[in-house]
Amino acid sequence: MTRWTGSLRMRLLLGTLVALALALLLAGVVLGGLFRDHVMRQFETTLTQQLDQLTARLVFDAGGQPQIDPQALSDPRWQRPFSGLYWQLDQLSADGQSRSGVLRSRSLWDSSLTLQADAMADGGIHVHEGLGPQDAPVLMLERTVRAAETPDAQWRLIVAGDLQQTAQAIDRFRGVLALSLLILLALLALAALAQVLVGLAPLRALQRALNEVRQGRVQRLQGDFPSEVQPLINDFNQVLATNAEVVARARTHAGNLAHALKTPLAVMAQAASAGAADLPALVQAQVAASRRHIDAHLSRSRVAASLQLPGQRTPLAPVLAGLLRVMERVHAERHLAFTLAPMDDSLAFAGEEQDLQEMLGNLLDNAGLWARSAVRIGAAREGETLVITVDDDGPGISAAQRDAVLARGARLDESAPGSGLGLAIVADLARLYGGDIALERSAIGGLCARLSLPRSA
Amino acid sequence: MRILLVEDDPTLRAQLRTGLHEAGYAVDEADNGRDAHFLGDTEAFDAVVLDLGLPVLDGLSVLKRWRNAGRVVPVLILTARDNWSEKVAGIDAGADDYLTKPFHMEELLARLRALIRRAGGLASPLLQCGELALDTRSGRVTLQGQTVALTSHEYKVLEYLMHRPGAVVSRTELTEHIYAQDFERDSNTIEVFVGRLRKKLPPALIETVRGLGYRLVPPP
Repeated sequence: MTRWTGSLRMRLLLGTLVALALALLLAGVVLGGLFRDHVMRQFETTLTQQLDQLTARLVFDAGGQPQIDPQALSDPRWQRPFSGLYWQLDQLSADGQSRSGVLRSRSLWDSSLTLQADAMADGGIHVHEGLGPQDAPVLMLERTVRAAETPDAQWRLIVAGDLQQTAQAIDRFRGVLALSLLILLALLALAALAQVLVGLAPLRALQRALNEVRQGRVQRLQGDFPSEVQPLINDFNQVLATNAEVVARARTHAGNLAHALKTPLAVMAQAASAGAADLPALVQAQVAASRRHIDAHLSRSRVAASLQLPGQRTPLAPVLAGLLRVMERVHAERHLAFTLAPMDDSLAFAGEEQDLQEMLGNLLDNAGLWARSAVRIGAAREGETLVITVDDDGPGISAAQRDAVLARGARLDESAPGSGLGLAIVADLARLYGGDIALERSAIGGLCARLSLPRSA
Repeated sequence: MRILLVEDDPTLRAQLRTGLHEAGYAVDEADNGRDAHFLGDTEAFDAVVLDLGLPVLDGLSVLKRWRNAGRVVPVLILTARDNWSEKVAGIDAGADDYLTKPFHMEELLARLRALIRRAGGLASPLLQCGELALDTRSGRVTLQGQTVALTSHEYKVLEYLMHRPGAVVSRTELTEHIYAQDFERDSNTIEVFVGRLRKKLPPALIETVRGLGYRLVPPP
């Protein structure tokens, strides 16, 4: 993108200017044409009146000679030589012999008007542009008349008016018009520039605000923005807030993990330097504790990393099918029957596939660990909610333990490997999506985990 | 029983090798996906321990290639990542089980035993043939409830035969599954082990099928 088209301001300005120039040019051409037409028509009307007057004054004497009394014509320009208004009478004989300039106005002086002979209906007025005396451009109107006195001949009356004045008037008008339009263009261009500058000002303000954020001076985009830009600002601030939250959570997690790992390390270092008798067992135990910490923090960070993009849709059936394939392999030794109750194929979770996999995987794995012989999975829609139940026929857990198992930050050192933590992750993820998990007594004897999640249509 | 161990970390591979040797397995190793694929494609193994994060060719691709080529050897995958999408991907690529790092050697061995047993169509970890019983978990062999003392090679031959009751097993097959690739193989030693086993067990139990190999015959 070049420097010119790359700038939004330049693009807007150039576009406006081009459009304005085209519009004004069109206006100039149309107005100029209209004015010329109007002036010409008016001039023609004047000449028509003169021609009518002339026609009325045309008389024939006893010898059949045409007569026009110059005194009867009121306009003084007929008399003044080369005044710009002329008349002439031609005789058109039936035998084709024509006599030009049988009678002429005094203003024609020593010149005459020349017209092509044309076949024209009687009484009609024909308009020509041509050259008059002194080669000046003239508008000529002609009319052919017959007289009862001269049956053999037709008479052609011509009235001519000088076009120079008209042309000057038109030119003057065009000049004024062009000047006005140019001034208008300049004013409109200025207005467009102002509009673009004012209109795009929020963008520069936005840029400044972003700069402030980037340099760490402020946490959020600040300032008053027009209503068209404000939603953008709000969204961006939301992104910033989410980002800050994620970073803060990640920092907390990293810090927590580091602290959590320091204890086993300290214990091991102490034992090694003191030459403890049961060092291998102690190291095993401390490594196991560290592992649980790492598992827990990895899971929590997975929850924190959940994208939560709007409009996501994950069909339930394929995810369940994939996880059940895993369960059948992983728990193959225990010969468990994983039964999937018939469910609507169109059921879908409004969220990320990985998160759904994580929740259901942990629930199924947990059920698989505790079940005696059977795990049952069911899913149904309840309004806007997708409810998934996982039942097992294992020992179940007491009501008092249920809350502890789901609690965030349950004391990890007390949790046996493979239990407890998984359900806490499920609870965290479910709540992140505005859902929940409830642990109940199962109809088939063990635990029933009831997972409620937002449903996608 | 012969295991293909695929792991690129030298320390972990050494630990696994030691653990597998101690459990009585013959172990072949590969530290990258290409070598692993070649070995699994050309040699006979009873199980594969396959790390997923491998140089040259990743573990999942290796597994998919084997399965596409019709190799049915049981595969246990090792993964450092603990998310379910990877587990589903692994199982769907044809893995039989997975283990998340870090893990205990005992757990790996238990799962491996189960995989090998299930591949032979046997449900219980206690293999029985008449009054002879072999507990794959403890490696104990009993006859009428009395422990039979076996050397490790004798045990390996018996274990292999007991995983395939009634089937004829050639000497070459026994050799392939009892020794690792770089071991000096001699099928005559198999005869020696079988001879010793016949002395310690009811003689009619291991039948010689002329020209073909051996067969474990349950008493009528």
